[in-house]
Amino acid sequence: MASVEFKNIVKRFKENTVLNGVNVDIKDKEFLVIVGPSGCGKSTLLRMLAGLETVTDGDILIDGERVNEYHPSKRNIAMVFQDYALYPHMTVAENMSFSLKLKKTPQEDIDARVKEAAATLQITQYLARKPQALSGGQRQRVAIGRAIVRKPKVFLFDEPLSNLDAKLREEMRVEIAKLHQRLNATILYVTHDQVEAMTLADRIVVMYNGKVQQEGTPMEVYSKPANLFVAGFIGSPTMNFLRGKAAVKGGKTEFISNDIKITLPPSLLDPKTVKDGQEIVVGVRPDDISVDVPAKEGLTEVLEGKLDVSELLGHRENLYIYIGETRVLANTDAVGRTPGDKVKVRFNYANMHVFDKATEKRISR
Amino acid sequence: MELLKSLYEVGWFLLLIVAGVGVLEGYFYTHFRFYDRKWFFPVLLSVVPLLFWGIFGNMLGGHTFALWLYFLLAEGLIAAFFRYIVKGQHTVPYMLIAPAFVGLALLLVYPFVFEFYLSFHDLKLTTIMAWKETGQIPFVWFKQYVNVFTTSPLNDVSIWMLLWRTFLWTFTNVFFHVLGGFALALLLNNNIKGKGIYRTLLVIPWAMPQVVAVLAMRGEFHAENGFVNILLNRLVEWWPALANIGIGPVQWLSNYPLTTCTIINVWLGIPFMMVVILGGLQSISKSYYDAADIDGATYFQKLRYITLPLVKPVAMPAITLGTIWTFNNINVIYLVTGQAGGTEKADILVSAMYKAAFTYNRYSYSAAFAIVIFILLFSISVFYLHGLDAAKED
Amino acid sequence: MIDNKKTSAMSPEELSEKYEKTKESLDQLRGMLMPFLKAQYEKNRKSLERREKIKIFLIHLVIIICCFICIYPLLRIFSISLRPGDKLFSTDLSLIPDGATFSAYVSLLKNTNFLRWLWNSLVITIATSFIGVSLASTAAYAFSRFRFPGKKIGMIILLSSQMIPAGMLILPLFLMIMKMNLMNSYLGMIIAYSVSSLPFSIWILKGYYDTIPRSLEEAALVDGTSAVGAFWRIILPLSTPALSIAFLFNFTTAWNEYLVARVVLFSSQQYTWTLGLFELQGQYLTQWGMFAAGSMLVTIPVLIVFLYSSKWLISGLTLGSVKG
Repeated sequence: MASVEFKNIVKRFKENTVLNGVNVDIKDKEFLVIVGPSGCGKSTLLRMLAGLETVTDGDILIDGERVNEYHPSKRNIAMVFQDYALYPHMTVAENMSFSLKLKKTPQEDIDARVKEAAATLQITQYLARKPQALSGGQRQRVAIGRAIVRKPKVFLFDEPLSNLDAKLREEMRVEIAKLHQRLNATILYVTHDQVEAMTLADRIVVMYNGKVQQEGTPMEVYSKPANLFVAGFIGSPTMNFLRGKAAVKGGKTEFISNDIKITLPPSLLDPKTVKDGQEIVVGVRPDDISVDVPAKEGLTEVLEGKLDVSELLGHRENLYIYIGETRVLANTDAVGRTPGDKVKVRFNYANMHVFDKATEKRISR
Repeated sequence: MELLKSLYEVGWFLLLIVAGVGVLEGYFYTHFRFYDRKWFFPVLLSVVPLLFWGIFGNMLGGHTFALWLYFLLAEGLIAAFFRYIVKGQHTVPYMLIAPAFVGLALLLVYPFVFEFYLSFHDLKLTTIMAWKETGQIPFVWFKQYVNVFTTSPLNDVSIWMLLWRTFLWTFTNVFFHVLGGFALALLLNNNIKGKGIYRTLLVIPWAMPQVVAVLAMRGEFHAENGFVNILLNRLVEWWPALANIGIGPVQWLSNYPLTTCTIINVWLGIPFMMVVILGGLQSISKSYYDAADIDGATYFQKLRYITLPLVKPVAMPAITLGTIWTFNNINVIYLVTGQAGGTEKADILVSAMYKAAFTYNRYSYSAAFAIVIFILLFSISVFYLHGLDAAKED
Repeated sequence: MIDNKKTSAMSPEELSEKYEKTKESLDQLRGMLMPFLKAQYEKNRKSLERREKIKIFLIHLVIIICCFICIYPLLRIFSISLRPGDKLFSTDLSLIPDGATFSAYVSLLKNTNFLRWLWNSLVITIATSFIGVSLASTAAYAFSRFRFPGKKIGMIILLSSQMIPAGMLILPLFLMIMKMNLMNSYLGMIIAYSVSSLPFSIWILKGYYDTIPRSLEEAALVDGTSAVGAFWRIILPLSTPALSIAFLFNFTTAWNEYLVARVVLFSSQQYTWTLGLFELQGQYLTQWGMFAAGSMLVTIPVLIVFLYSSKWLISGLTLGSVKG
């Protein structure tokens, strides 16, 4: 097992700069997930580690050793591709033993390793089949098995679950988490699905537009997003953003927009960090909106809203509420409200965030 | 014994090819490996040609010096290319395409350039023996090109007549090819049983070896024994009144050779168009027609507004290819009218060129002729493609 | 009656009463008309069906006529090949002539070099096809997977080589082969044929390679092959359909070729079957029977092979054009 370092990585395709000075560290035995929307450069970063893309500038180090020039097979990595990339003309067993055969490993070793990996992933009964005869989930396991067999220093996963349906995705997520525990391996996992990131990662790196937006544990990234992008990207359903101005008058800070006026207490926002008239964005997660509850410590003033659409989710419901012209999404216990109802809305201070509109950075505590 | 001998010959040739490819790859590989050494250029330009001359020197008769010069030139270009333009990268793709492109260079580019060279000299029956011995032929500047436009390649046909005929031939053929192919494709695209069998049968003119098909069809137009005339005879026997309007057996090959060739070529060419257009038709989703039905379109309206536009992208490449092939179609004309004693009334540009070279042995003249045809075809294609692109932008 | 008032002037109760009454009378009307409506509907449906049937019948008819036109020459050759010697020039149109005999076939096989011609063609064609496909497979791979200087030019050269008039290159090739003293030989023919189908083969193979996902080669790279190793071990085995198509195309082009053979080969022993058959059908003395027999013997296998692989061929031809 090994550590990985990306130092000041720059990647250019012709005139297009895809990555501009990216620094990421992966500690030994860590499960690092790089998450971000399509086109943010995460797959490119992964492929550069694999050796499938050249590095325009910067260094990639595995265990302290610079590997920029090494052939993919000499880097001691294994990769699980998004479309599995199983050789169609070989059986599952042959697929899994291909790399070992190329290294001229003795046949008994190959057989032993293949059997072990197959048992771990419960695909022993498919060993003689060809990939076309397997379902998506089974093919996914074979792809993982192919990687395990090689006993590499680093595992690379390139959006492995995006081709599976929702239910299968859930199952495979659990499998991959268990795999990490069992193998105790260093894993670099790339995805655009933030649920996968939150559930699987030891640490998350959020990327956007070729730059690292924030890195930290899932909890850190969720509860203390560094900027607007991370706040809006992580967490489902998406955070509500309210745009308006800060009003600082005599020691009291308020958020004022056309429809909403709420106090921002010092415990949330240090008054010294905000100027009167500054354009700010307040972020509230749907679970942190209270509907039709009496005033309480830790809640904002009441806001009058009108229910537009409600989605029943079981014992919770999604409420799309219009406060004036501003629409917010609240997620509360299901009570059975009807569209058109007038509702009283309060936000929880506990998980509220304030961002500066210009820099998009978080300025609350 | 004969069999073994020919197998041996061919096996040896294949071995030669494999060895040749290996040498070629190694050669290119050294270019990549050593392109940045100081000694690269000097060594290359002196050693390799000497080697080349030494090995191949005796095989090529009087031409060796010229060939050595060509090789030097080519090698210089390649070495410069590797050193300054490619800078030692892209090893793999170059080595992959090397054998194919060297083959093409030798057997496509070189002949083309050679034709060009020939067209400025005077190679014909009287000078060819001298050339074989010494490699020299008289140099005549543009005389051959002037000849192309002023004298005729054959006995009684001018180049303008040939040009006109070629256009007429191409246009008529392609017109009927597309019309017939489209009609048949439309018919086949319905919900009928036996589509597979019909398609198989209709494709036979294309599947048959062209030589057999053309010679057989030619036989059918024979004045006495050919099917067409026999039928016409019987028709007139059965209904004598027809003779008065002038329907009767015809001397196809003597009097109407171009028509005959056209009929034969149309018969040959329709299946190809049909297959391509049918493929295009089948890819049009039924929902378009359903929507049109709801809107109340007639059959012809559907044809015009849905079928035609959607088939066009599939059909256009085929039609383009077909036009070029028809323009250049020597086979049919030559096989039908070409042998000694045949008529020249059906010749088009390319067949006249072939005859000039191989029946009349006017090699240089034929070369100039070929270049002219090529320039003509090339410019037409360029115009056509430009027009196509311009139309696409709308 | 309520109906005399304008609806706008009625009260709600009066309106609903009017509504009920109107509904009743409409129902009655419908009940009376129903049988007539049903009969009309049936009549329309039947005539539609009949029109459909006539349309289908006509379609079948036209297609069958066209099929007939397509096959007839072939059938005629067949019947000519069966004609007894004295009736060779008859104007008889029947399919199986009187006194049908295989004597033409026998005569062909015994008195001419037909078998030798077939052998010549076979040797030359197979050698040419192998060379053509191997050269094309590597070149097409380079065009499909790599970006390199000169790629565009290469593609343009390949495309425009289709435009060269067929006869244009025969002359220089002829002169080259003559100078190398390879006239009338297998080697000469193979050299002449080997690159004639190259551009088309490259085009087809490139189209096919483009459909193979690159992740397969990347997986192979990660597993430990070199770039060429990935091509050899992974891509080639997967491209057998396209390789077969290319081989078939090379084969049929070389097999049916006439003009180049005419120029390079000049002794009857060395002829390919196209030359041989042509020799049998001279302008004045046509040995119709043997010519027809020879034609049949060559055409039948070609047709069988073609029709057997036709589905492949068609899809292979459209592969390139749909993707490209």
